[in-house]
Amino acid sequence: MGKLTIGCFSSLVGSMTLDFAVKLAEAAVKKGHEVDLWLSGNGVMLGKKGQSKFRDYSYLAGTVEELLKTGKFRITNCEACAKARGIDKEDTMDGFGIHSMDWYLASAFDADRVLHIGGE
Amino acid sequence: MKLAVFVNEYREPAILDRLKADKFGIILVQNGVYHATVKKDGQTSPVLSKDAEFYVLSEDLQSRGFGDGDVDSKVKVINYEGLVDLIFNDFEKFIWL
Amino acid sequence: MAIKKLAFIVEKLPYKAETSRLALTHAIASQTVEIYLEDGDNVEPVIAFVGDGVLNCLKDQKALDIYGVTSLEMHLKNALLLDLKVLVCKEDLDRLGLKEDDIVMDAEELGAEVTTEVVPYDQIQQEMESADHLLFF
Repeated sequence: MGKLTIGCFSSLVGSMTLDFAVKLAEAAVKKGHEVDLWLSGNGVMLGKKGQSKFRDYSYLAGTVEELLKTGKFRITNCEACAKARGIDKEDTMDGFGIHSMDWYLASAFDADRVLHIGGE
Repeated sequence: MKLAVFVNEYREPAILDRLKADKFGIILVQNGVYHATVKKDGQTSPVLSKDAEFYVLSEDLQSRGFGDGDVDSKVKVINYEGLVDLIFNDFEKFIWL
Repeated sequence: MAIKKLAFIVEKLPYKAETSRLALTHAIASQTVEIYLEDGDNVEPVIAFVGDGVLNCLKDQKALDIYGVTSLEMHLKNALLLDLKVLVCKEDLDRLGLKEDDIVMDAEELGAEVTTEVVPYDQIQQEMESADHLLFF
């Protein structure tokens, strides 16, 4: 089994790219791989606590919570990107890491595969 | 190198012609799936003329109203599970355009 | 002990989206990555501008004065100051009618010793081949 690091810089609502990243993470974890998901730029919106579930908007909080329970999934927000959007630690979903950008590079260091998904 | 490129939009990315790889894959996801299914003016998408192995994500096909039977014969239909295997077993480096 | 090479390839244009800025800030973050790694381990970043992405490297960007946000030019100079390898595709500069004089080639005023390298695309392809992972922006 291997480690996949995914970086995703796209917003939660509006592009469905984060939906892709989370579904890919889910499939990889199901196969027994470890996954790190790094969120930067507008991607940090995924970590915002208290999102409402409407069917016209992407909603990934439930899947993320289930993935975190597996112990094979880490999800981390870029600290500066989140703070710039008014998302501090107390606004962030439980289980999310909050780190500076070097965390992503460290995750890539020991990843078997890296899929970097830029912004929109 | 074993390089796979994710094409996620229905336009021809300029850099596709410049990339070189010993093993080259093009994975059609999101709106990239239209390259595998739509013939503009009766013509197959120029993306499919590249010297590459082609894959399309079934979940993104189905989301847009297509089935496996709509896909060009050059393109292999895979699901997320198959994509994970492709990432770990068939390719080493990835570009999301 | 291992060094992993990460290639940051920038093809997107600046400002309208955050993408190219994040390429530079993440590449610059390589300076502090050691805190997460074992002794002797490190990452080696290389930044390469290709396609329309070479327009990120133009001189005299005034985004800070006008919009109050750091210019890509300033980020690029910081990258040079930190001795990061910065490559710009020669064919794309030619295609867009640009010369070395038009882009950020150095950050001497900050005390940077390394300079931007204008190179043929083939050299950027080689960097991608020798990298452990690609991060395409």
